[in-house]
Amino acid sequence: MVLKISRLAPLALAVAVLSAQAQGSNEPSFNFSGFATVGVVSTDNNDGAYAITGELHGATKHKASGEVDSKIGVQGTVKLNKMFSGTVQLLSKQDGDGSYMPNVEWAFVKAQLMPSLSIRVGRMGAPLFAVSDFRDVGYANLWLRPPQDVYGQVPISNFDGADVIYQMPVGSTTLTAQVYGGRSKAVVQHTDIELKSEVGFNLTAEMDNGLTLRAGRIQGKLTVDSATLANLVGILRTTPFASVGNELDPTNKKASFTGVGASYDQGNVVGSFEYTWRRTDSYVPDTTGWFATLGYRFGKVTPYLTVSELKQDSSNVTNNIPTGVSPTLNTLKATVDGVVYGQSRNQKTVAVGARWDFYRSMALKAQYENVKPNGPGLFINTNGNFGQTKVNVYSLSVDMVF
Amino acid sequence: MQTKHILKSALFGALLALAGLAQAQVAVIVNPKSATASMTADQVSGIFLGKTNTLPSGATAAPADLPEGAAARDAFYSKVTGKQSPQVKAAWSRIVFSGKGTPPKELGSAADVKKFVASNPDAIGYIEKSAVDGSVKVVLSVD
Repeated sequence: MVLKISRLAPLALAVAVLSAQAQGSNEPSFNFSGFATVGVVSTDNNDGAYAITGELHGATKHKASGEVDSKIGVQGTVKLNKMFSGTVQLLSKQDGDGSYMPNVEWAFVKAQLMPSLSIRVGRMGAPLFAVSDFRDVGYANLWLRPPQDVYGQVPISNFDGADVIYQMPVGSTTLTAQVYGGRSKAVVQHTDIELKSEVGFNLTAEMDNGLTLRAGRIQGKLTVDSATLANLVGILRTTPFASVGNELDPTNKKASFTGVGASYDQGNVVGSFEYTWRRTDSYVPDTTGWFATLGYRFGKVTPYLTVSELKQDSSNVTNNIPTGVSPTLNTLKATVDGVVYGQSRNQKTVAVGARWDFYRSMALKAQYENVKPNGPGLFINTNGNFGQTKVNVYSLSVDMVF
Repeated sequence: MQTKHILKSALFGALLALAGLAQAQVAVIVNPKSATASMTADQVSGIFLGKTNTLPSGATAAPADLPEGAAARDAFYSKVTGKQSPQVKAAWSRIVFSGKGTPPKELGSAADVKKFVASNPDAIGYIEKSAVDGSVKVVLSVD
């Protein structure tokens, strides 16, 4: 119940501020919109399941899944006057507890101080990637889903706090600078994750030739609330190998995510590219993820190709527990190795797909991915046989906006 | 004789259709009191694709769309912005679902657009050129 209340707190704040403001306004307007995806995924492998980071249930060869991509979101914006507006977005998709309980994805109040300058307070989309705010809006994107080798690195999608956005035209280019601060929460497979003391920025340059460039960074203090891991860290700290426990410990540890990207959309050519780095001072490994997508519009049908890679730069843990000294230490060393291996996220993907704008406000997409994992990669519920072979993933979806 | 007649009428029909296409001329209109005298296709495109919300005069624009599927709407977007309707829709969904803006107000007919523009000093819309009258001011014509 406490959790539910804290989830709804930003919404209550937004509603309170808006209704207080609405008293003196003479030109309020309301806009309602929504988006939905109905998707199904299947693979040719039963040793691990394909899922989007955070999800509890994925797709295998035996069990195709409609739970990986299907979702629905609704959004309302109240514009009180030229300065103040408020936006709330509710999103229902499979969460880290396997539930579809609608989550308050956004609930913020925005003050447009000048045409070029705005301040927002509340819960907002965290601009970690080139496609952050609308990554769940399939219709807004070419791919069936954002490339997971990049987007699967961070389960956080929003933050509670404040931001300042400044927009400035420079010649024919529009520069947008956003700085923000706050805290984020996420649930990954029943485990609570929190990033506190966040500060970040996001810069974009949109040129009139269809090219958009982007750079951003966020850093904060990461806590992963895992009882099993805390137990292991506690045991290690009673041994001479306390340093191993300290390296594993994900309590209030420095973490950052940095990315650069470019996208192009002119005439019939569509392309995008992102290169990203994740760094933490804990058992959550340092990774580098990148992708490149190229597509071409043939009328209402747009085929595309994406190549991507997620690689582990460092496990952040030096397991210096010796073997052969005692059975207890052998077990401890193996346990630490197991935890580190379970976090390894190496995989390469080649994906081909097509988007067909078959009806007003609706798009049908099909995507085939060939994933080469080294270790568990981004797959969940993997067994010992997983990681030996490539995995073929087949997805079909219908995206709509309303 | 008969076939000749049929051929003739078919040809006439084709010519009519061509003339119809050629006549899909669209006029971008603003309020007669607006300080804006003329606009470039890039300026109009910027407003209707959500890249800017200001008119050249500095006022915050209030853009209006014709209904989805209207011939003049498709002609306007393909000629002024160079984009087809699914691309325009996807572009607006990116703006709407990042909380950055709302799409042009969709009105029911050219008459409604004219009425809206005539009564709102910051409005901007587009209608078939043949529907233009003294209640609005043309800032851009596209053939």
